[in-house]
Amino acid sequence: MNRKRRTEILIQNGGNLAKELAEVIKKKYEYQPISEPEYGLTMIKMRESAKKSLFYIGEVMVTEAKVEINQSIGIGIVIGMEDELAQHLAIIDAAYRANLPETVEWEPVLETTAKQLEEQRAREQRVIFETKVDFETMEV
Amino acid sequence: MGYVAVKGGTKAIEASIERLKYERLKGEEVLEIKTILATMRSLVDQVMSEASLYAPFLAALAIKQAGGSMEEAVFLMRAHRSTLPRHYYSLPVDTESMFVERRVSASFKDIPGGQLLGATNDYTHRLLDFELIEENTDANHQWLRDYEAKLAANMAQEQEIQYFPKVVDYLRAEGLFDYYPEDNDPPKDVTKESIQFPTTRSERLQVLTRGQTGAVTALGYASLRGYGQVHPTIGEVRVGNVPIHVQHPYENNNDEENAFYIGEIKITEVESFVPVHVKKDNKEELEFEIGYGISYGQNETKAIAMSILDQCLENPHGEFPTHDEEFVLLHIDSVEATGFISHLKLPHYVTFQSKLDSIRQVKKGAETGEN
Repeated sequence: MNRKRRTEILIQNGGNLAKELAEVIKKKYEYQPISEPEYGLTMIKMRESAKKSLFYIGEVMVTEAKVEINQSIGIGIVIGMEDELAQHLAIIDAAYRANLPETVEWEPVLETTAKQLEEQRAREQRVIFETKVDFETMEV
Repeated sequence: MGYVAVKGGTKAIEASIERLKYERLKGEEVLEIKTILATMRSLVDQVMSEASLYAPFLAALAIKQAGGSMEEAVFLMRAHRSTLPRHYYSLPVDTESMFVERRVSASFKDIPGGQLLGATNDYTHRLLDFELIEENTDANHQWLRDYEAKLAANMAQEQEIQYFPKVVDYLRAEGLFDYYPEDNDPPKDVTKESIQFPTTRSERLQVLTRGQTGAVTALGYASLRGYGQVHPTIGEVRVGNVPIHVQHPYENNNDEENAFYIGEIKITEVESFVPVHVKKDNKEELEFEIGYGISYGQNETKAIAMSILDQCLENPHGEFPTHDEEFVLLHIDSVEATGFISHLKLPHYVTFQSKLDSIRQVKKGAETGEN
């Protein structure tokens, strides 16, 4: 599973799954924190729809951590003040970069979680659809 | 008379700061950060937008520390922002990937995907709700349970998540609006480099989106009232969450699928349709241009006003201040405007003594001349 999809599932899940997967790695492998979770900024680049040009809307606060496993450095970045989640994401990223065998076993768990998250989102959207306007044309 | 240079006041300043704390605490009530986050959504959004820093928890803390003063809360956020390192720039965010929770159009009743009212004050009676005085958590829990049960009973059939196309794209497809290819010129950053006039579009949009809500709204309103030449119809207002992605800092694989998803932010985006007269083949024709507005959080008034000002500044006009980029862009920043105005109350003894001396000299000269 590519990094974009993997990190989306782990962050949208809220942290429980990331903790579970990171614990597996922490028990079996030596890991070295390169940098403890720290707060920083990410500047957000937007594409505006009038002339399709780029501009900066502003910054967002993120937490970032880096760890090393088997000489592979993993990075965890997440919006907000999320020290624990950033560290777990970094461990999981390092596990993927080091091609640890556990990462293959994670695929079905990640896919199941993705499905649950999609269903939850679809439910949220169906609730919002309750406010959809049903216009009727009046005869004048 | 010589100038009067003074020093001192340290003890008075310390006592004043204590007094400020006393004023915040004397009511003996503690406002929790989580309470501000849960109940003061619009205030938190406004502080983040004007501070140009998306951090709801910090914005709530700033509101608490500032005792509810918007200008002070924004100042605190900007100051805190300057202490943090910027490690990343996101990949370009396209709002077609927005998880929409509100979307309306004033131009068409039937827009593809439909109009979603979401949560809005627009259709509420503006009457004080005295029942809120007696509000309690038990009754609120019950209301939430009833609401969820009602929704579950009426829930539509399961369907996949829908992402909504832009209204303007349909009009572009019909040839009613100009089509622009993606412009990937790197944007300028006004937080790194002071703006020089004339500005680039990226600088204008960045300054407008971090502008003070009241100032942006006032200038947009002034343009509508005749101090400008833009009177738009809203093509689309959309509010919702957009995903943010960043590239790996040192891997060579720049494939977007290899990027980090880092979370979502809530934004309001507006496209205004503005009629303009253009000359083609010696004939005057009516065409539409798009004014663009955007804001952190849900702040529709600011985003709409920004879309008006965007269009004003795209078409400079010497007669109207709202079409003058120097006038608009240099006066809408919260920290700059409130900072300059409020510095006037700080000691100006030397400056003022100098002015008094000048007036005394003039008067003395006048008296001598009369004699």
